[in-house]
Amino acid sequence: MINDIYNYRELLKTSVKKEIRGKYKGSFLGVLWSFVNPLLTTLVYAIVFPFILRNSQEHYVTFIVIGQLPWAWFTNTISQGTSTFLANGGILKKVYFPRVILPLAIDISGLINFLISCIIIGIFLFFSGIGYSLNILYLPIIFVIQFILQLGIILITGAIDVYVRDLEYIINFFIQMLFYATPILYSIDTFPVWVQKILRLNPMATIIESYKDIFFYKQSPNLIMLGIVFLFSIVLLFIAIKVFNKLEKGFAEEL
Amino acid sequence: MKKRKVDSDNAIVVKDVSKKFKLVYDKPFTLKERLVFWNKTRVGYHDVLKNINLTIKKGETVALIGVNGSGKSTLLKLMTKIIYPNKGCIMINGKLTSLLELGAGFHPDFTGRENIYFNASIFGLTKEQIDERLQKIIDFSELGEFVEAPVRTYSSGMYMRLAFSVAINVDADILLIDEILAVGDQHFQDKCYEMLQELKKSKKTIVIVSHSLGQVKKLCDRAVWIYDGVIREDGETSKVVEDYMKVCG
Repeated sequence: MINDIYNYRELLKTSVKKEIRGKYKGSFLGVLWSFVNPLLTTLVYAIVFPFILRNSQEHYVTFIVIGQLPWAWFTNTISQGTSTFLANGGILKKVYFPRVILPLAIDISGLINFLISCIIIGIFLFFSGIGYSLNILYLPIIFVIQFILQLGIILITGAIDVYVRDLEYIINFFIQMLFYATPILYSIDTFPVWVQKILRLNPMATIIESYKDIFFYKQSPNLIMLGIVFLFSIVLLFIAIKVFNKLEKGFAEEL
Repeated sequence: MKKRKVDSDNAIVVKDVSKKFKLVYDKPFTLKERLVFWNKTRVGYHDVLKNINLTIKKGETVALIGVNGSGKSTLLKLMTKIIYPNKGCIMINGKLTSLLELGAGFHPDFTGRENIYFNASIFGLTKEQIDERLQKIIDFSELGEFVEAPVRTYSSGMYMRLAFSVAINVDADILLIDEILAVGDQHFQDKCYEMLQELKKSKKTIVIVSHSLGQVKKLCDRAVWIYDGVIREDGETSKVVEDYMKVCG
């Protein structure tokens, strides 16, 4: 499989480019939308939530931005990745290329977007006066884990979606729910311990918390939790590849 | 599919291949339909190909002929690995490019030039290889300055010319072509067949599905007549075409 991807690296590159540039083609702001979007969402939360929740979090806007940007990468990848084979049905029926390129391109283009948006996080950290620490060096470890986790998820959901098209809607609803189960707008320590335990079953909770640790709290992330999520992601990816290889053979007939 | 050693003289070996398509009436696409019509969907099978055995040697130019629905295109799709056989196996020896439908994967908003890169990368070329061939592709397509215009503004002829130019310049060892040349005007069709003649001379393997028997006779040394999912005749082009004409003419 890796060999296949290497042989088709140019296709992967152009697909990533198409994913980043083609999405907003024709709009006035173009690629900038991928950053304006999560910022506007953050703005809404920052205005609305202090009103309805009694919240004593300092630097609340920065606090949300750090959670929201990686979360935007997660939601975009999952929802686009799930529908990618249906969306590209036309070409899947006509040309052979390693099918895994499509979900991979979505995850990679999301990663590139996220890395650029880390600049936004940097700007917020600067102006809020929080500043930076060397713990930022943990960043690659965290985003690699998030990348693997997402790839595993979309290989499975994308392949199943070809056969059962409801999955798209179920997944989109599920992501909405997961948003509230992920410590983006709040900090996980504000809950009783038993609730914390439940919340931590969500791998994205650990990942978002780790981003907050290295950027907001300027401390090392919980490496044990992160290690567990890493192992989980690797196992998931292996299962995903197995499932995917089985299901991809029927794609052209089902689409 | 088991991997077996391929005889190095053979480009394509099709062994005991059968393919059937599921015919589902009122296919349940959604979960609701699946649950409500649980076990109620009528499923039938249509045998498209029945136990096909075919060996194509390197450098051969083979035409697949037959009436609509006889399974020619399905056989090509199996060779490209877009679909997989229910039984048997297919072995390919060499880099394979297929032209099943033109401009698959063209992005309408991108320019002709950008689409050349995208399309050629679908065929597995790297950037350097595409750079090398770019001018040749543009020249062959005769698009001139239109290569900088978005593909959605193209006429169907221009679209086809661009797609064919990319595919024919990929430098594959094996080229599979489904009935597509009919779109171009006489001038471009002639040019394409000339190009195919050249590829033939350079010992490329070509498998072509075509209904224009005149051109098939000129280009191919071997013809395979597929009738209702089985090979009815396989041999020298003029003979097979003649027999085919007797039945279907």
